[in-house]
Amino acid sequence: MEVLDVLGAFMPQLLLVLFALALPALDYLFKDKRVLAFATLAPLVGYALALVSWTVGGYWEPPTDGVSPHLIEIDMFSGLFALAFVSVGIIVVLSSPEFIRGERNQGEYYALILLAVTGMTVVAMSTDLIILFVGLEIAGIASFALSGFSKGEKRSAEAATKYFIVGGFSSALTLFAISLFYGVAGTTEIAALGPEMSAMLSAVDGTRSVAVMATVMLIAGLGFKIAAVPFHMWAPDVYEGAPTPISGLLAAASKKMGVAALFKIFLIGIIATKSDWDVALGAMAILTMTVGNVIAVVQTNIKRMLAYSSIAQAGYILIVLPIGTDYAVAGGLFHVVTHAFMKSGAFMVVAALVVRGVGESIDDYRGLAKRSPLLALAMTLFLLSLAGIPPLAGFASKFVLFSSAVDAALVPGQSWLIWLAVAGVLNSALSLYYYARVIKRMYMEKGSDDKVSVPRMAGTAILFASVMTVLLGVYFDAVFDLCQQAAAALFGT
Amino acid sequence: MLEYAWLIPVFPFAAFILISILPKRTLSWEDGAGYAIGGALGAFALSMLVIWDVIAGNTMVGDGPKFEWLVIGDISVVFGIWIDELTAIMLVVVSVVGTLVVFYSGGYMHGEGERRRRYYAEITLFISVMYGLVISDSYLQMFIFWELVGLCSYLLIGFWYEKPSAASAAKRAFIVTRVGDIMFMAGIIILFKYVGSLDFATLFDGGAGAAVPTDMMVLATALIFGGAIGKSAQFPLHEWLPDAMEGPTTVSALIHAATMVKAGVYLTARSYPLLVQAPESLMLVAVIGGVTALIAATVALVATDIKRVLAYSTISQLGYMTLALGAGGYLVVYAGSGAGYSAALLHLMNHAFFKALLFLCAGSVIHAVGTNDMRFMGGLGKKMRITSLTMLFGAIAISGIPPFSGFWSKDEVLAAVYSAGEFDSLFFLLWAMGIATAFMTAFYMFRMWFMTFAGDPRSDYQAHESPRLMTVPLIILAALAFSSGFALFIGDGFGMFAEHSIGSLFHGAHHGSAMDLLAGIFGDPLTYVSLVLAAAGILVAYAVYGKPGFDRSVFAKGVGGALQRALENRWYISKFYDDFAVKVVYGLSLVADAFDRYVIDGMVNGFAFLGTKSGEILRRAQSGNVQRYASLIVVGLCLLLIFMLYIVPWGGW
Repeated sequence: MEVLDVLGAFMPQLLLVLFALALPALDYLFKDKRVLAFATLAPLVGYALALVSWTVGGYWEPPTDGVSPHLIEIDMFSGLFALAFVSVGIIVVLSSPEFIRGERNQGEYYALILLAVTGMTVVAMSTDLIILFVGLEIAGIASFALSGFSKGEKRSAEAATKYFIVGGFSSALTLFAISLFYGVAGTTEIAALGPEMSAMLSAVDGTRSVAVMATVMLIAGLGFKIAAVPFHMWAPDVYEGAPTPISGLLAAASKKMGVAALFKIFLIGIIATKSDWDVALGAMAILTMTVGNVIAVVQTNIKRMLAYSSIAQAGYILIVLPIGTDYAVAGGLFHVVTHAFMKSGAFMVVAALVVRGVGESIDDYRGLAKRSPLLALAMTLFLLSLAGIPPLAGFASKFVLFSSAVDAALVPGQSWLIWLAVAGVLNSALSLYYYARVIKRMYMEKGSDDKVSVPRMAGTAILFASVMTVLLGVYFDAVFDLCQQAAAALFGT
Repeated sequence: MLEYAWLIPVFPFAAFILISILPKRTLSWEDGAGYAIGGALGAFALSMLVIWDVIAGNTMVGDGPKFEWLVIGDISVVFGIWIDELTAIMLVVVSVVGTLVVFYSGGYMHGEGERRRRYYAEITLFISVMYGLVISDSYLQMFIFWELVGLCSYLLIGFWYEKPSAASAAKRAFIVTRVGDIMFMAGIIILFKYVGSLDFATLFDGGAGAAVPTDMMVLATALIFGGAIGKSAQFPLHEWLPDAMEGPTTVSALIHAATMVKAGVYLTARSYPLLVQAPESLMLVAVIGGVTALIAATVALVATDIKRVLAYSTISQLGYMTLALGAGGYLVVYAGSGAGYSAALLHLMNHAFFKALLFLCAGSVIHAVGTNDMRFMGGLGKKMRITSLTMLFGAIAISGIPPFSGFWSKDEVLAAVYSAGEFDSLFFLLWAMGIATAFMTAFYMFRMWFMTFAGDPRSDYQAHESPRLMTVPLIILAALAFSSGFALFIGDGFGMFAEHSIGSLFHGAHHGSAMDLLAGIFGDPLTYVSLVLAAAGILVAYAVYGKPGFDRSVFAKGVGGALQRALENRWYISKFYDDFAVKVVYGLSLVADAFDRYVIDGMVNGFAFLGTKSGEILRRAQSGNVQRYASLIVVGLCLLLIFMLYIVPWGGW
């Protein structure tokens, strides 16, 4: 059974796809649509438990026998990313039933979420540019459809259209970049890309321009996924128009898929040409965090504000690439994990409030602390964590990120890296302004007196996210240890 | 048993959580008193087991269970527990007094209604963090709990926060002790810089001394002692403690007499392995202690508020302990004897019992009379038999009359100071100050007792004895105030026990049998000096305040009058601080405020303005037009290409 052996490592993905195929059928069988949500949760929770018992518990080892070495690899790096994706998936699915109650075709909605998560995990596991691209596309197409799920709403349709057009454009760029890399190096295997490329660069004149061309296109293509400036314009429109749980999926998971791809390609594949791209990416990181934060300051819609905030967060993560040390990668992974919880948590609070008829304008949050103390408290937690206030998760991961820049700047000739840390800290200070503004609205201003109850399932998701936000900040040792193992796995040491 | 010692603070902490979060309906029995008593009793039982284990000869110094909190690079912050004889002595104090005060509170706080819940939450939190402080195994962990007891103290002093005097007393206590806390922190930062660890196990190993230069060790130990000055209300940071009497009397007894203020003394004793490497710091400790003992005793002579008398008396007795620790360090270094150290600890324990007793008696009186001012009391002895008798026990104990507990420890303290005079004659002066303090202590204590209980009532009140819930703790404490000094003669003796914890610092500790010890005490002429002075103090107090018909206005004339005014104004120290705060600090604050308002805020506002403006401008780029988005991607792509192809090679990156 050679086929099964090869597919062995794909078992979790196969399981997800299987459920995704079954869900539309279940849609016809059950009147109570919550069944669909539970059917979606089943494989996700199973996958999550398997991942946790492997990465955190160390109770078993995943099968590596028969994994085709040229396509995918299961290691700590992919495991950690998969865990982040699946956790966000669980949070999103949990808060969906109340949000999309009454909509038609709910089976498709859940199926598409499963497919998106599948694509993301494939990207994290890929060792080859082709399968990486396939993963990007699976996740990408699923999310285009998801963002247009509320068919009746113009906003949602507009979001999907924009997302699709810009996304298609970016996919083309990515694919073009991959083909150029293949032209230069003669391989699509990420680990082999570097040696082959440097051999070619020294052998044939003029190859460098092609390599740079390919690199730039890759930056543009993946820059779209992580919404880095100036490839970010779609993000606020799409996050605002998409159903709110889906905005959370895009901001907290889809973006991290881009990060996984960037880490793999830049830090393994084309690390040999680092001197070509490190300053450009450093500048882009600073630009991204600054533009994201500055525009977030003037937003009046909470979803748009969160969108710009997640653009800024992508800027923080981007600094890992020019730094390129183990410690920085561990910090980047850590921020991926913490951001997954705090950002999805924040979006789910917005979703829960929309379900209860509270608007999306920041002004609608006036006096929320009186109307729904629990939701206001959770939102405060997430926002403070995003701003990087100790002892919450966001502080711990940001601390590692910025301190890795400081560490790396001590190496002679790398002193410019210090500016990445400086920009990061200044930006964090700026970001506190707009996060605190929401908290002020909730706690210090008077709003309507109607109580807002917490939707049960969304409440569960928010509780999960807030517990993780606190836990990862207070007791971050175990997770940071995993991140360091994952960074080591990425570098193959 | 010792490895479970970390559970001790968990019991009261659990009570704190329950009292804080349980809904009002479920939290009945006097709004949480039940939970508080349960938590205190749990911790008490476990403490007793731990103490029993220590007495049996087991300790846990550096080899207990650990909890790794965080790792930053090569630095790891580990929480653990450290149980030795010193810890055990503190555990005795905290568990006995803490538990009794919680019981007593059941009666004392009865009339507080809604506020009771807050009270019990805060008091259980305090007990929990106080336990945490004494079982800490590193300076960092200790500092965390140190700050937490400071917080609880602040909250409880300001318990009646609607009273302006209580609110400002709470602030004052917090700010003044903060001065000491900063010094403490600076001290441990210096140690960390040279040793790279704050664990007691590493620091006390002897290796630390080699790693720290001598003058830095002096600085570090002096700064750590600075923390003790703040927390234990030593001169010149002592003025917050009398003001702290604005809190409920139970709090004064628990925090501001028996436990938290002992934390400074405990810190000094705990730092002995470092202090003995810096004799200059030891001298500082001794001088601060002696001066504090004397100054506080003089102010207590004229105070009329019953709680303030006790507060100044507390400061004065804490000065005794500090003095004994300073002198004891000299004895350890030069004579190879732990006499001063064990004397300080014995006095610490005895004082905790008799001072808690005195405060709770005062609370009982205040509960009955409704005023703190002794000028309006008098004649209470007949109406409050139990209170007056138990308070008499406390007064005799603190005055140093044998065989009450205070006598034994005070005598040991003075003897240790005197024998340290052999190595530095300054100790003879300090001993003289101690002797003078002993006389004044006896005088002001009996002045207080006579003014309260003797003679005729000086105002209209319907006094009655307090309920059983309050008097039973009084009786238990009175028994302890009588007997706790006998610890000196139990088993190998208290001295041997206490010195175990610093056993590695000196050799040749030798103690004789109980009879030798007794013969030593009563064969020494110095014992009789202090005894006679104490008796004289009591007699003078009786002549002036106990017997009717003495005209006290003679004190208000001439030199005596000036002195009395100086004392009534607390040597003008408080006024000095107030003036300093109002003129110097406030002036500086105005300058800083102007700087902050115009320069810093100007910058911040400028940035905010810049941010908002540029946000507005950048937002306009977000047109919502998807063609625009795609073309911007192309523009970005081209710019990147130009940058990487032409500028990067040219820039030499």
